[in-house]
Amino acid sequence: MAMHIGPIVRAMNHSRTRVILIVLEIAVTLAIVTNCVNVILAERAKMMQPSGFDDANIVRIDVLPYGEGFAEPGVIGALIDSDLRAIATIPGVRAVANALFEPWDPRGSSSTFHRVDGVGGGLAMQEYYGTQDLIDTLGARIIEGRPFQEGDHSSGTTLVSPSVAIISKGLADVMFPDGDAIGKALRRGDPGEIEEDPLTIVGVIEHFHRPFVFDEDGSLARLALFVPARIGGAWGMPYLVRAEPGRLDEVIPAVAAALKENRAERAIDVRRVGDTKGRWFAGSRIVVATMSFIIVALVGLSALGLIGLTALSVSERTRQIGTRRALGATRSDILRHFLIENAIVTAAGLALGIIATYALNIFLVNNVTAVKIAPELIAAGIGILLLNAVLATVPPALRASKISPAVATRSV
Amino acid sequence: MFLYQIKTALKSLRRNPILTALLIGGIALGICIATTFVTLRHMYMRDALSQKKDQVFYVRLDSWGQDSSLDQFPGGIPNQITYPDARGLMSSPVPVRQTPTYMTKMFVHPDPGVAEPYQAEVRMVFADFFPMFDVPFQYGGGWPDAADERVEPVVVIDYATNLKLFGGENSVGRSLRLRDRDFQVAGVLAPWRPGLRIFDLTRDPTGAPEPIYIPFNHGEAMTLWAAGNNSGWKRQTINSFEDNIQSERIWLQYWVEIPDAESRGAYNDWLRGYIDDQRALGRFERPTRFAVTTIPALIEEFGLVPNGVKAMSLVSLLFLAVCSLNLVGILLGKFLSRIPEVSVRRALGASKAQIFWQHVIECELIGLIGGAAGIILSIGVLSVLGRFMDNGDALGLDGEMLLVAAVLSLLAGLTAGIYPAWRVCRVAPAMQLKIQ
Repeated sequence: MAMHIGPIVRAMNHSRTRVILIVLEIAVTLAIVTNCVNVILAERAKMMQPSGFDDANIVRIDVLPYGEGFAEPGVIGALIDSDLRAIATIPGVRAVANALFEPWDPRGSSSTFHRVDGVGGGLAMQEYYGTQDLIDTLGARIIEGRPFQEGDHSSGTTLVSPSVAIISKGLADVMFPDGDAIGKALRRGDPGEIEEDPLTIVGVIEHFHRPFVFDEDGSLARLALFVPARIGGAWGMPYLVRAEPGRLDEVIPAVAAALKENRAERAIDVRRVGDTKGRWFAGSRIVVATMSFIIVALVGLSALGLIGLTALSVSERTRQIGTRRALGATRSDILRHFLIENAIVTAAGLALGIIATYALNIFLVNNVTAVKIAPELIAAGIGILLLNAVLATVPPALRASKISPAVATRSV
Repeated sequence: MFLYQIKTALKSLRRNPILTALLIGGIALGICIATTFVTLRHMYMRDALSQKKDQVFYVRLDSWGQDSSLDQFPGGIPNQITYPDARGLMSSPVPVRQTPTYMTKMFVHPDPGVAEPYQAEVRMVFADFFPMFDVPFQYGGGWPDAADERVEPVVVIDYATNLKLFGGENSVGRSLRLRDRDFQVAGVLAPWRPGLRIFDLTRDPTGAPEPIYIPFNHGEAMTLWAAGNNSGWKRQTINSFEDNIQSERIWLQYWVEIPDAESRGAYNDWLRGYIDDQRALGRFERPTRFAVTTIPALIEEFGLVPNGVKAMSLVSLLFLAVCSLNLVGILLGKFLSRIPEVSVRRALGASKAQIFWQHVIECELIGLIGGAAGIILSIGVLSVLGRFMDNGDALGLDGEMLLVAAVLSLLAGLTAGIYPAWRVCRVAPAMQLKIQ
């Protein structure tokens, strides 16, 4: 076998253009395919990130008052209590909370808190308000401590200012690396900034993930603090409703009807968390679909191009092949010649392709914050393109091997 | 001669339909993907202001506190301005048009029987807003400047609102109740969906423009709070709308239109003077700094084109390049198999240049036919893409993008064909004749 390589390389010298073309094609194909796969993997990882909540079965309902009398003291608090009771009795409703939070809503703001015991400084985090059943309504899992309970926030005419909080594990890990968050207290602002009652941590939830438009490095996505509170005003009363699995469609109109019946002159605005999540990832889905298509099309096209070029070289060398056959070369010698030739050219293309892949990746990382490419990915790309090259060489090479030795004796 | 070459090229294309279909298909695929994603990117850059992109400016002032961090803002300068500054800037005589603006929410009370009351986003603007942003009207128009001064209850509604509330007919002059006040319709917008809601950069930039517009001065009269982004550096207790509009909080956007460079210089001088005056009153603790920015520069500074879109447009162009590179081999085979015929033509007097151009034209024909097919395909792909995007309604081919697609098609044809055409034109007439 080794003895073949010398003549094959020398023979390639006669068709330099073809060799250069194939090398270029393969190099660019490898660069695009591996970088596309890299982007797809990064986007999929983003989409697969669980929010930690029962996204598919939760709906956010904003109740917006427009009539007279909503600004009177006590009216909104009483309405929230009665709305919650009305919604909770609807068949198919698993849990309901009055909450200023909407999973996957890309807007948001952050607040700063610090440890009352003086360890560490202020840390920016997401802060949300909600009533007793908030954690159950979200479908979040408490891994330490307890959920909110009666008396944590105002109800009826009893006014309670919040003194406890539930935090995400992501926040606990950052602020309490020793794992002793429960029972510790946080205070708003940077140390010494604001005189406000501290919040004692009573619970930790397992997952929390809510990215923001303005949180590019994702540092805020997992840091959350939930404060027990009734939240609402003449501007509106926000609710989260969690349905039994698959029953959201029947629950939504029933909830809207119950709210209207409880108090007229209120507009109702409904947003499914699943839809909100879908909108947040619309761009990612488009990128994944298109890049997948581009990968398939590119591998197919490069096979076609290779078949075309090899076929051309076979037809150009018909007489030489006939001569070699006449001089004793077997069919498999001819087949092997083309396979080895294309393997060498492909290998050269792939070698150049590795450089091109890194160049494109560096460009993407610098300009569009893609993820650095893993060597395993390039190895996989090389394997696929090598296989593709061999498969694309076989049909024209087979045809070459069938050229009759008699061709050598003809003049055309 | 040119016509003859086109005829010959068409004849050659018909000779091997499968090969031709492959070539055209390859170009079509490349052009479809490239056009789609170049158009997608273009959508973000295109705006209603393409005619005067260097005449309309966003104004920002560094009104921040001495020791407060500006890290949160693109370009390190507050992204909005305060209410006192909005009032102050309005006194400048330099801009030909100007408006502070913000978004609020109000309840719309349609005629009972038409629709239930609902909450809508309302943009507060001066009359200058509409001509400044080339806002298209279906009926009527913006209100007169006098309506701003006299705080008249006039309103501009968008196409969809007019359809919902007035059945789509000419509603100019009709009455519309907003919160607790009757407004008179001054104008109805034509369907209007820019790719970016550029006039308010602090909200989701791909959102649709607000459906309702009323004179800015109603803000104070009706105590209409901003419903958009609101930030501040100073500890100030805000218990009333009065506190709000006197505070150092920033929640307004400010736009000016200044057509010529000379006035732009004058405006910069005016702003310096304004800041000096304010500093004398105890505001503007930091060194004088302001930004008067064009829309294209804002898009860049605020990073409004999503990275995925940038990456896709780059990858799609590379994809087109590989498509045409892959066609080189096929064309080479096709042209070289024609060597006997070419050598006869050469012997009969065709010049090298004629043979070369003949084949280049054949490739360009493939490029154009493939390009046309690709453009048609990309119209389909774009309409599917549009359904998945918030600003999808703004997505579509325009004249500029058609031109880009045509140029890309010609380039792709040239990339694929120039080398094979050059190879085939070098055929020596005599030798081939001898063999024949």
